[in-house]
Amino acid sequence: MAIIEQHREEVAIQGGDLPQILLPTNCPGCGIGLAGDELRANNYVCVNCGHHFRLGADVWIPLIADPDSWQERWTDVRSHDLLNWIVPKRYQETVETLLEEGLNESVRTGTCTLAGVPIWLAAFDFGFVGGTLSIVAGERLARGMEQAALTGVPYVLVSASGGARMQEGVLALMQLAKVNAAVGKLHAAGVPYFSILTDPTFGGTAASLALLGDINIAEPGAAIGFTGPRVIKQATYADLPPGFQSAEFQLAHGQVDMVVPRNELRPLLAHLLELYP
Amino acid sequence: MSVWEIVELARHQDRPYSLDYIRRLAPDFIELHGDRLSADDPALVGGIGTWHDRTTLFLGHQKGRSLKERVARNWGMMHPEGYRKALRLAHHAARFGFPIVSLIDTPGAYPGAGAEERGIAAAIATAIMEWFEIPVPIVAAVIGEGGSGGALGMGVADRVIMLENSIYSVASPEAAASIVWRDNSRKVEAAEQLQLTSREIIAMGVVEEVVAEPQGSASADYDAAAGTLDEALWRHMQPLLEQTPSQLLQHRYDRFRYIDSLIQAEPHFGPKID
Repeated sequence: MAIIEQHREEVAIQGGDLPQILLPTNCPGCGIGLAGDELRANNYVCVNCGHHFRLGADVWIPLIADPDSWQERWTDVRSHDLLNWIVPKRYQETVETLLEEGLNESVRTGTCTLAGVPIWLAAFDFGFVGGTLSIVAGERLARGMEQAALTGVPYVLVSASGGARMQEGVLALMQLAKVNAAVGKLHAAGVPYFSILTDPTFGGTAASLALLGDINIAEPGAAIGFTGPRVIKQATYADLPPGFQSAEFQLAHGQVDMVVPRNELRPLLAHLLELYP
Repeated sequence: MSVWEIVELARHQDRPYSLDYIRRLAPDFIELHGDRLSADDPALVGGIGTWHDRTTLFLGHQKGRSLKERVARNWGMMHPEGYRKALRLAHHAARFGFPIVSLIDTPGAYPGAGAEERGIAAAIATAIMEWFEIPVPIVAAVIGEGGSGGALGMGVADRVIMLENSIYSVASPEAAASIVWRDNSRKVEAAEQLQLTSREIIAMGVVEEVVAEPQGSASADYDAAAGTLDEALWRHMQPLLEQTPSQLLQHRYDRFRYIDSLIQAEPHFGPKID
């Protein structure tokens, strides 16, 4: 029997220890009034309907990493306004405001352990310009993957992203190539790469590293796709069916290996780390 | 010329399209079809021909001129099957040691429900990743529109060049306006901020060369435009033919890994290496 079966309780997420997040008063899934502590204890999954609330990197990191194991890397790599982007808002101002609010770019990365196994972890932060893939994000991702490939340490990604960052122009687009080449390094080294797709994962992030995992794991109800539904409707005038681009839709269309509720995610990852020693 | 005038020129229906160039570069060109899985994507042409005395694989986004042709070519917007066809042919070229020329001219991958259902995101992702493993020389040229991941899916190469009046962008101006303003009518403002003209793209270090177009743009003289493109492509291809596969792949990796190094080198710009 896999070791994980004996230790399922130990590796389960300790929701009560997670940071608090800003919540609406009612669940967007079922409308029930939300009790913050109860929701947090359930890993920010609605106890009534199972709606998975979006989480920032500050929550994803303690959710995946063993306590006190997280060592963040390259936090001082910074974005700059390369294109003199001024409308509707100065890009430099956007970035500086978010940094002051305590967010550090759209991707944070580092090493930690999961059920005692060393891993590389990268988490997108949707709160930072929509989790858009930027030069800093690409640089942090590529460096982490290169390190993981060199040292044989499994790589875990949590994505939540609108795609490439418009305000960094074609250099943001080039990050798709940069990170995909680095995924190729993981593949060549035989290092397992587990990609967790959360709500929402679109555009250049879906069309690069997020769907290239050795195993792609989606959260229930997460919207995942290339072109967003608003742009599809503008471009084709098509009516999109309910559930279009949901995690379950992507499972049915062969794009992800499984749809896994958040409460089962950590035991699953621990099990996978056993299966890919 | 304003930025928007360049965008319109890059998209102009009188502009030479991929087949106009390919047939001039390799008059014996033979088109090959299909992804060997389910379909043939007419928005991407591929095939072989003799170019500078050597069998070469040509790939290119193909647009149409008449309404009927445009519909048939889907405005040069590829479906997942197109990226799978491109990779199928790239592996074919690798098997026989043929160099690859890729011509880029697309507003982007097709933004429709069918493309989503058949995995357009994963098709582009896989293409971008696998181009790094194709052990033959690849030179890409943006000949019109280089739009978004749909273009980059055909644009991972050892050298990338751009025609003078072409554009290369993270998203089409319309899509960028839709994303930033939620209003695609603000496309002109978006185009001005995106820095998508050839002069701006080469300044960012994303392409190796901007190829001059004939007086009055490439539309004015297809033969002259094809002649200068041929000369530039060959000038970039020649030194690549001398490299071993492992040298090629290492340089291709480094080209994209450090593509933002121009801004990294500038102390006030970009990521700082620690």
